[in-house]
Amino acid sequence: MNSNSEPTAYNNRLGLKGWIYAGKYTFERYLYLGHRLSGMGLIAYMVLHIIETANRMRGVEAWEGLMALFASWPFKIIEYLLFAAAVFHALNGVRLLLTELGFFLGRPKEPVYPYSSSIKRHRPLTYIVMTLAGLIIILGGSSLFFP
Amino acid sequence: MSDKITTPREITFRVRRFDPDADSAPHWSEYRLDVHDGMTVLEALHQLKAEQEPTLSWRSSCRMGVCGSCGMFINDLPQLACQTQVLHLGTDVVTIAPLPNYDNVKDLVPNLEPLIEKHAAVKPYIIYLDQMEIDSPTGEFLQTPDEREAFSQFTFCIKCGLCLAACPTVATDPLFLGPQALAQAYRYTADNRDCGMKERIEAIDIFHGPYQCHLAGACSQACPKGVDPAFGIQLLKRALVLDSMGFGKKKSSVAKVVPLADVVKAIEEFAPPPRTVGK
Amino acid sequence: MRETRLWSLHLLVIPIIAVLLGLHFAVMHYAPVFYGVSVEEARNFETMIERGRSVAQLVLYILLLAAGLYHGLYGLRGILRELPLTPALAKFVDGGILLFGLFIFALGAYVTWWTFSYKIGG
Repeated sequence: MNSNSEPTAYNNRLGLKGWIYAGKYTFERYLYLGHRLSGMGLIAYMVLHIIETANRMRGVEAWEGLMALFASWPFKIIEYLLFAAAVFHALNGVRLLLTELGFFLGRPKEPVYPYSSSIKRHRPLTYIVMTLAGLIIILGGSSLFFP
Repeated sequence: MSDKITTPREITFRVRRFDPDADSAPHWSEYRLDVHDGMTVLEALHQLKAEQEPTLSWRSSCRMGVCGSCGMFINDLPQLACQTQVLHLGTDVVTIAPLPNYDNVKDLVPNLEPLIEKHAAVKPYIIYLDQMEIDSPTGEFLQTPDEREAFSQFTFCIKCGLCLAACPTVATDPLFLGPQALAQAYRYTADNRDCGMKERIEAIDIFHGPYQCHLAGACSQACPKGVDPAFGIQLLKRALVLDSMGFGKKKSSVAKVVPLADVVKAIEEFAPPPRTVGK
Repeated sequence: MRETRLWSLHLLVIPIIAVLLGLHFAVMHYAPVFYGVSVEEARNFETMIERGRSVAQLVLYILLLAAGLYHGLYGLRGILRELPLTPALAKFVDGGILLFGLFIFALGAYVTWWTFSYKIGG
C-alpha cells in the first residue's frame, strides 16, 4: 500500500434499513415505522383522491363510471386498508401530539438503576390509543366496509 | 451462594472484522470461548485477543460504564461491552459489530467525531446575561434543588454515542443533530443560569434539529446511563414552541449572583446537624 | 422561517383535519345515518353536485384541502429531506413539494368551486 494514502474507513450507516428494520427495539420503534408508512399512504391517497374526484368536470358518465369502479371488491379492500391506515395514523398521532409537546412523559429526575424512561412512562397512553385503534379498525371498519 | 456459580459455558463469538489497509468490506470471524458467570463482553474480547486473535481491535478504557468508549452493536443492540454480561444475553452465539451509523475505522472501532462535532454545535455551556460575570465571577449563582432537578438527568451523558447508533433518523440523515446533542441543548436551555436560547436557536431551530425526532424511543432504550435523550428532545420542542410564541424564559427566572462575601458568611454560620452515630 | 413555526403549524392544523375529515367521512360512509340515503346514492352525480352547491361545503372543503395538504406534505418533505441529499437536492425537494402542494391545492379548490357554481340542467 502507498504510505501516503490514508486508510479508508468503512461507511457503516444503516441507511433505509435503519428506518424499516426495528429489530429488538421498543414497541414505539415499530409505531414510528407504522406512522411513517401510513402517513405516506395517506398523502398519496389524498393527492390521487383530489385528481380522481376532479373527473366530475368530465360529466355524469365519467363520474358514474368511476364510482362503479370504486364499488368493486379490489377497491373496497384498498379502501379498508386506507381506513385502517387513517385510524392508526390519527390515534398514534394523538399520542405523538401530546408527547412531542412534553405531556405524559413525567418529570426529569436523577437516573437511578433500574432506569425509568419517558417511553415507559407514557406506555399506558400508548396501549390505550393502540387498543382503540385496533377496536375501531376491526369492529368499526369491518361493519362499515363489509356489512 | 455456591449455587450461583455456574460451570463455564462455551459461547461462540461472531465478531465483525475490518482492516482498512487490507479489506474493502468487513467480514465475520468466529471464535469460541469458555465463559464464566459474570464475564462481560469486554472481558471476553480481552481474553480472545490474548489467547486467539492478537490483531482484534476495539476501543475501551474504564471497564465500568463511565468513560463511554466501548460502545458496540452486541446481539443487534447498541450496548457498552463493559456493562454487558455475556451469559445475560442468553444466546450461545454472540454477535459483536461496530456501532452502526458511524464510519468504521477498524474492527469494532467507530469514528465518533460526528458525535463530538454535533455536541459542540449546540453550544453546550452556560451562556449568561453578563459575560463579565462568567469571565470574572463576583459571586455564586443561586440555584434551588428543584431548579437543578429540571436538567440534572441530562448531565449524566457520557458521550458514548449509543443513542446515535440506535436512532433511525441518523441512519439516513448525516446532518441530523441527533439525540445526544439535542438532549444537551435542552440540558443547558433548562438551566436557570443559562440565557442562551437566542444563540442556541441558530444551531438547533433548523430542519436537522429536534423535529426530525419522531419519538421512536430507541435512543432512550440504548442509553446506558438513564439519560433518556428522547425525553430531553421532546422537552426541547416544547421550549422552542413556547419561545416562538413569546413565552420563553423570563428574565426574572434567571439565576441571581450571590456576592461571594454572603456565601462565605452563610458557610461560617452553617451549623452541621447533630451527630447520630458515635456519640 | 424557523423550523419551529413550520412544525407548529403542522400540529395546529390537526384539529381542523380531525373535524372536517370526520365530517367528510360521515357524509360519504354514514349517509344512511345522517342523510337517510344509501352510500351508493350519496356518491351519485346529482347528490354530489347538490351537496357541493352550499357555501359551507365550499369553505369547509377548501379549508380541509389546505390543512390536509399542508400536514401531509410537511410530513412527506420531512421523510424526503431525511435522506442523504446534497444541498441543491434538498432545496429542490423543498421547492418541489411547495410547488406540488400549491398545484394540487389549486386543482382541488377549482373543482370545489366548479361544483359550487354548477348549474343543474345548464
